[in-house]
Amino acid sequence: MVCPSLFSIVTVGENMAAHTSRAFLSLGRINVPGLGLHKSVSRVTYSTGLSTDSSKATTGSPQKGGKKVLSKKYKREPGDPRTELMPVDQDWTAVYPVATPFIPDAIPLPVRMGCPVKGGAPPEKKGNLELIKIPNFLHLTPAAIKKHCEALKPFCTEWPSALDTDAKCDEHFPIKVETKSYVSAGPSIRNPAARIVHLSVKLSSLNLNDQARKKMLKLVGDRYCKDTDILTITADRCPLKQQNYDYAMYLLTVLYHESWKIEAWEAEKTVADMEEYSWEGSLSQENILDVLVRMKEAGEGEGEEVREQLLGRREVQEYKDSVTRLKNEGENESTMLQYKEAVKKVLKL
Amino acid sequence: MLSMYFNIHGGSQQQEAVAAESEPEPLSIFRTQENDPACQSEKHFGQYYTLPSAHVRTVFPHGLPMRYKQQVKTFNEACMMVRPPALEVISSLKKTDNSKPAVRYLFYGLKGSGKTMTLCHTIHFCYTQGWLVLHVPDAHLWVKNCKELLPSSFNSSRYDQPLQATEWLRNFRITNEPFLSKIKTKQRYVWTKRESTEEGSTLGELVDQGITRVKTSSDVVGAVMKELRLQSGQPESDFRLAVAVDGVNALWGRSTIRKMNNTAVDPEELTLVYNLRKLMKNDWTGGAIITTLAQTGAVYTSKYSYLPKELLGEKGFDSMDPFIPVSVPNYSEKEFESCYLYYMDRHWLQYPHSRTEDGKKELIFLSNRNPSMLERICGFH
Repeated sequence: MVCPSLFSIVTVGENMAAHTSRAFLSLGRINVPGLGLHKSVSRVTYSTGLSTDSSKATTGSPQKGGKKVLSKKYKREPGDPRTELMPVDQDWTAVYPVATPFIPDAIPLPVRMGCPVKGGAPPEKKGNLELIKIPNFLHLTPAAIKKHCEALKPFCTEWPSALDTDAKCDEHFPIKVETKSYVSAGPSIRNPAARIVHLSVKLSSLNLNDQARKKMLKLVGDRYCKDTDILTITADRCPLKQQNYDYAMYLLTVLYHESWKIEAWEAEKTVADMEEYSWEGSLSQENILDVLVRMKEAGEGEGEEVREQLLGRREVQEYKDSVTRLKNEGENESTMLQYKEAVKKVLKL
Repeated sequence: MLSMYFNIHGGSQQQEAVAAESEPEPLSIFRTQENDPACQSEKHFGQYYTLPSAHVRTVFPHGLPMRYKQQVKTFNEACMMVRPPALEVISSLKKTDNSKPAVRYLFYGLKGSGKTMTLCHTIHFCYTQGWLVLHVPDAHLWVKNCKELLPSSFNSSRYDQPLQATEWLRNFRITNEPFLSKIKTKQRYVWTKRESTEEGSTLGELVDQGITRVKTSSDVVGAVMKELRLQSGQPESDFRLAVAVDGVNALWGRSTIRKMNNTAVDPEELTLVYNLRKLMKNDWTGGAIITTLAQTGAVYTSKYSYLPKELLGEKGFDSMDPFIPVSVPNYSEKEFESCYLYYMDRHWLQYPHSRTEDGKKELIFLSNRNPSMLERICGFH
């Protein structure tokens, strides 16, 4: 522990040894054993490294203050940042013609980026590394894009004048292929998501008869939307877009040809496989004919003719319509009501 | 005026003691004096008519909904509302031709909208007209919670349910007492080596056989159904058969009963269900088949389904086809008014708040005019 008084001794000593260039000061502490540390008596010892006889021949005394007078180098004053000098209606594409990192003095926007100081704002743009690190699209403003388009126009061809409505486009070009391409600021221009190809076509534009259409719907499953009648084939199993496009076209061709083929086992299609309910040959038909025969509606007759006659009746036709509607559309109040009325008429209630 | 004493211990289900016998009541807008269902018409829509207690005991030993039975006990009277679906079916029943095949009616509607009550109303009509009523109160009881399942002696692939069968036979006997001695069997039934029912014996003997010999009760039920089916509509029999089944969707649904090897039993393999299905077909004449859909006791059905095709399934619909579906909706405005006035009259609505317009609006909002919901809510108001 150093006694405060020692400091005063030290300062005096320094003044005294001021003419020396260097003075080493060492403080020694003498431990008296048995007395404890706090009672140690310290003695100050001086030792000077260099000779005390200092020569005044070197530079002027530092006591006088004033450092060495260095030769004054010319330092240019930084002027106003370029943003102050930019007119409002300038051509921005000239300021940023290509992809360039962020230059705070060239961009007249008070942008801030980074983590805000507590109770304060994020750091300003001047000297902001965060703004420089990130990619910017200042070279792709709408004005720049317009210029690009103008430059590309000489290489484009006219839209065919005959295809002026959507309907005509659908009629001549029923297959629509949708792909996405991706642009990003990074070292690589590849993006694996760009290989996906969606091919959509309206089934009404394909030449399919009833059986072929049903088979196509069964083959295709979820890919068909009933409301818009559009079949969408999505291909993404190949690494390249062109390969996926070829695969999708191949799938469409195969589906079309397969749905036209009739296999031998398709004759075993049961009632459970049918897509929609058909009344002919159903249990409902049997029931109603049975009932009417027992009610002796048709008068005396033999099998087939009686059935034919009954089937031709208007009430039976209405009943048939109501049952078909009920089974195909599902139940709601209106279908139920129609069914009720039809049954009442048939049973003559 | 009726004077009533009741002890207030809060809440529902209190016994009322009727102090004085009722003198002719003043004309109330929600009641009608026309207690015969045959004479009710559109002008009685929304009004309550009283069922005589003797009828309640005979016709409905097992048919009324549980909450309604409690209400009958509380109010000491059985009052039923006259509603359009019931009257529609009753008017069709009045015009039924005995020589034509039986027509099938199906009541369907949301939960608690009054299907079972409408069915009971039609059964009451059939009873007053002297028809033979074959009432199966809840077909769901036959496909679930079976305590005893025996293999059938008649057909080894089927299963018997003696307990359910005996109970049903007992109730059938109570309802159709007068017919039991009139109808004679046309066939000989052999139950065991020593027991048999001869041809020409009365239906009563057949039913007694089933009640006393519990093991054969399911087959007795089948025999009863067969006899009635064959005999109704014949020129020599003078009765008409009304088959009423509540919860008919149970016959074509799934059952929760399991066989000894833990596989599920198909309802078709149950004797009772098999015979009832035969009755449901319209190949017999001289009567009518009135049925109700029920989701309340149904197994393996969604709580919100109430339409015929979803509850009956494909098989059920094809078996019932062609039938007349009758929709039973929630109360209309007029019917709600009537019900509200009835509960007020019976002092069922006790809080003064329910007598105000606001209280009435609250009841409408809470119950959405659903009959069973309204009944439950009024118990707390």
